[in-house]
Amino acid sequence: MSKVFIADWRYLLLVSGLLFGFSLVLGRVAYLHVWKAEELAGIAEQNRKSIQVLAARRGNILDSRGNILAATRPLIEVGIDPKVFREEDAKKLPELARLLNVPEETLREKARRRTRRGTAHPQDIRLVRWVKIADAIDDATYRAVRDLGIRGVYGNRYYERNYPAGDLAAHVVGYIGYIDDPSEAEPVLRPLLGVERFMDFYLRGQDGWREMERDGRRRELAQYRRELRPTDGLNVELTLDMVVQSIVETEIERLVAEYSPQGISVIVSDPHDGRVRALANYPSFDPNRFHRSEVSHLRNRAVGDIFEPGSTFKIVPAAAALNEGIVALDDQFDCSVDAVEYRGRTIRMPRDVTPNGRLDFREVVIKSSNRGAALLGMRLGESRLHDYSRAFGFGSRTGWGPGAESPGILPPVREWDGLTISRMPMGHAISATPLQLHQAMGVVSNGGVLMEPLIVNRVLDHESSPLLEFAPRAIRRVLRDDTAAVMTEILNAAASPGGTASLAYIPGYEVAGKTGTTQKIVDGRYSNDYHIASFSGFFPASKPRLAITVVVDEPEIPGTAYGGRVAAPAFRNIAEQLIQYFSIPPTASREETPIALWESNR
Amino acid sequence: MLTFRPKSPAFRQLHAPENANGKSGRDETRVDWIGPICILLLSVMGVFFIYSAQAFMGSDYWTRQILWIVVGSVAYFIIARIDYKIFFENAQWVYLASLFLLLLLWTPLGEVRFDARRWIDLVFFSFQPSEGAKIGTLVLAATVLARSELSSIRESFALLLKVFIIVLIPILLIFWQPDLGSVLIFPPMIFSLLYVSKLSERFFLVVFAAFALGVGVVGSDIYRYHVFLQEHNLSAYDHRGAYEAQSWVPLRDYQRNRILAFVAPEIIDPKGISVSWNYRQSVQAVGTGGWSGKGWTMGTQAKLGYLPRSVAHNDFIFSVLAEELGFIGGVLVIGLFGVILGNGLRIAGLARDRFGMLLAVGVTVVFLVHIFINIGMTIGLMPITGLPLPFLSYGGSFILSCFILQGLVQSVYRHRREFS
Repeated sequence: MSKVFIADWRYLLLVSGLLFGFSLVLGRVAYLHVWKAEELAGIAEQNRKSIQVLAARRGNILDSRGNILAATRPLIEVGIDPKVFREEDAKKLPELARLLNVPEETLREKARRRTRRGTAHPQDIRLVRWVKIADAIDDATYRAVRDLGIRGVYGNRYYERNYPAGDLAAHVVGYIGYIDDPSEAEPVLRPLLGVERFMDFYLRGQDGWREMERDGRRRELAQYRRELRPTDGLNVELTLDMVVQSIVETEIERLVAEYSPQGISVIVSDPHDGRVRALANYPSFDPNRFHRSEVSHLRNRAVGDIFEPGSTFKIVPAAAALNEGIVALDDQFDCSVDAVEYRGRTIRMPRDVTPNGRLDFREVVIKSSNRGAALLGMRLGESRLHDYSRAFGFGSRTGWGPGAESPGILPPVREWDGLTISRMPMGHAISATPLQLHQAMGVVSNGGVLMEPLIVNRVLDHESSPLLEFAPRAIRRVLRDDTAAVMTEILNAAASPGGTASLAYIPGYEVAGKTGTTQKIVDGRYSNDYHIASFSGFFPASKPRLAITVVVDEPEIPGTAYGGRVAAPAFRNIAEQLIQYFSIPPTASREETPIALWESNR
Repeated sequence: MLTFRPKSPAFRQLHAPENANGKSGRDETRVDWIGPICILLLSVMGVFFIYSAQAFMGSDYWTRQILWIVVGSVAYFIIARIDYKIFFENAQWVYLASLFLLLLLWTPLGEVRFDARRWIDLVFFSFQPSEGAKIGTLVLAATVLARSELSSIRESFALLLKVFIIVLIPILLIFWQPDLGSVLIFPPMIFSLLYVSKLSERFFLVVFAAFALGVGVVGSDIYRYHVFLQEHNLSAYDHRGAYEAQSWVPLRDYQRNRILAFVAPEIIDPKGISVSWNYRQSVQAVGTGGWSGKGWTMGTQAKLGYLPRSVAHNDFIFSVLAEELGFIGGVLVIGLFGVILGNGLRIAGLARDRFGMLLAVGVTVVFLVHIFINIGMTIGLMPITGLPLPFLSYGGSFILSCFILQGLVQSVYRHRREFS
């Protein structure tokens, strides 16, 4: 080969330049095709695929009779795409405005505004491809909207949680709301309170997904779809009864109107199986608009707030002493002495509201004598008093499913001071939630067995057949049944004419119960002005059907807000209506009372 | 997959005259087969992948491409038959004709697309006169350099000035359109002609220094552009034109974006959705091909529009091919181009006159630039420029000019003996 016109080395350089360029290109192609192939294929696939979550429909929450407390309804937000909207459809806008109940002028404006300012760069002009014109449109209206056939008007379906009963049983049902989740980009819908949270596992169902491929303009490609349909959530049936709940809440309204208290908690349950028929608090909230409520209103005071139970607690030392056999019914207690020698120390006794002389055991409970209770406590001694309190459920959570429960405060014996042995029996130096108090009273009404409060009856599938049933659960036997029967009769006497709870008395229905008047601690001292009035009781004494506890925080009333004066009548009002609702027959008078039996057994 | 189809129109066009004329001339039978076979293979592949790139839209560009290949083959045959020395004698007319076509752009025949005046619309078809300018400039520059020996810069100053002016006129006209990509062809072409004309090394050192300076200027301009965007919180995609109004470096902002997208895609477009979109999608298309590709028409990047549909069948045809034929297909294409270029240099070496040699070298370098810049940009070795890939990319006047240029090389091969 002759290279006359090019010097050899120049020719070589040209060829090597060529070779260099080619090896560069070949090397890069090999690098992309062979080494980076997998990585790049992954990126390309990620770009193409997009996963859309198909939300599962959340299950309903029902009361024990099938009334809906929480429901999920599909709604549609309707919007318009100004880019595909045609001017010839403008004549249909008045009809659209009427259907959606929005001003026609707004529609016109949104249909014609085709651009907007960029969010990141306000100087940019962006195309508007969809702008919301109406929210929360139901299916029928949306069908009517689609029938209008306006191009570019379409909606997106979403689910809305709806609480048809409003604030009824709000604290039990709870609510769901958006919260920030660090692992998610946007706030996520989470159950935040009550059964919504407790039973979320069953209610939420299983979200499905749709895998789509999108083209370079981010349009969805129909032929590349794969999807997994969502599984809708299960329905949850509560033990609540909406009628009972509404009776209770009406009574709460009356109490609020009469006493303007700081708070009220009322619990109604079946003493034998612990099924809660109603649980209500004041102040309450509407779960549909929970975000507009004060945070303090969202609190389920009945399980989360603690107070010193006061005299209602006297059932514990009384029942304990009876159960331990260290007291006879006719034992006399000298309630006139101011100080008592106890284990080598002189203890100043608490005062009774009205000074008493010598009282027998029954009178101590019926008249709610603080001194008598203190003497009972001293007979029991620290350790038995503590252990019985614990057995009654004080100082530990009751097992309220939805949680947010306080265990209350029952100090261990080693933390007691010198006065505790004389003050705890009257319900001081111990704190409990209204539900704990209710459950403790339940021990007496349930023949001595402490039950777990039950709020969820069953989990139902979409055809309303039960998938899961929650059985009542006994926690422990606290008292012998004869002890419980005697206590019941004494409490029946307390809620009869002449007892401290006489205002709870309903002729023929053997109401048994105990009042409590807690002096709130203000500035470190027991206040004479601020009280918590409570009453916990059940009826009929011989065959208890319902247990009701009423706790009223700081009722405004001249003088002392005694539990017997404020809470006992509320109990009676509720009980009277429930007697009608449940058609509970009055009891015939009995010949052999438990006390007579108890006496004859000695 | 790809089959060699002897009945294809291009093939017949290529061979018909020979069958008809038999042994009409002394050297008629002396034909270089290497070049045309490679060209034919590449052209057939081009048709297939233009079809594939647009399969989703179902356009008929591939049939038009076949038509252009037929037209190109005819031109190839004619040019190959003509003794290239005709161009040596009439170089100034070829050059002036190509300039005339360029100037037509500014008559009512010129058509403005996407803010650029690149097309002449002749009702039935439109063409890019910058392709003709490429040929005309190459022919005249080769003629001028063939007529007189170059010695030192000082002694040949008048000659160099002449060459410089010959190149500068089309460059300016094309720059004016504007079509920066096509401008890029001219300097390498002319420097390679000067290089093989034995211009002194010092000249190339100076050129290299000037090139480095240019890169420096552009680099700092790009950096200032980036700072400007940040300071004013502008998006590179939506505010094209904001910076170019105040910069004295004659670049358009979309060109700055392309360079930035190449140099620092993470900075200018971290999400990969605006200015670096084409770059990223093209590299992904190539990469997803793997060893043997996804199969013809099975590529997703072009079909789903990730490779923008407006460019997949021309500027980014290599990405489509590399996705669907994989590494094997990529190497095949690069190999075929390598053979064409190597063959061009071989023919340059075989040429017995300076003009022939210069023509072959010039054509080869023009192809080299096209191939290197185009494939380079699709695989992320180069910023995105609008240079098509010879024989594969869709485009009428470009296909035609490729065939004509290769026809010149064939002519140099066929008529080399007449000098000896």
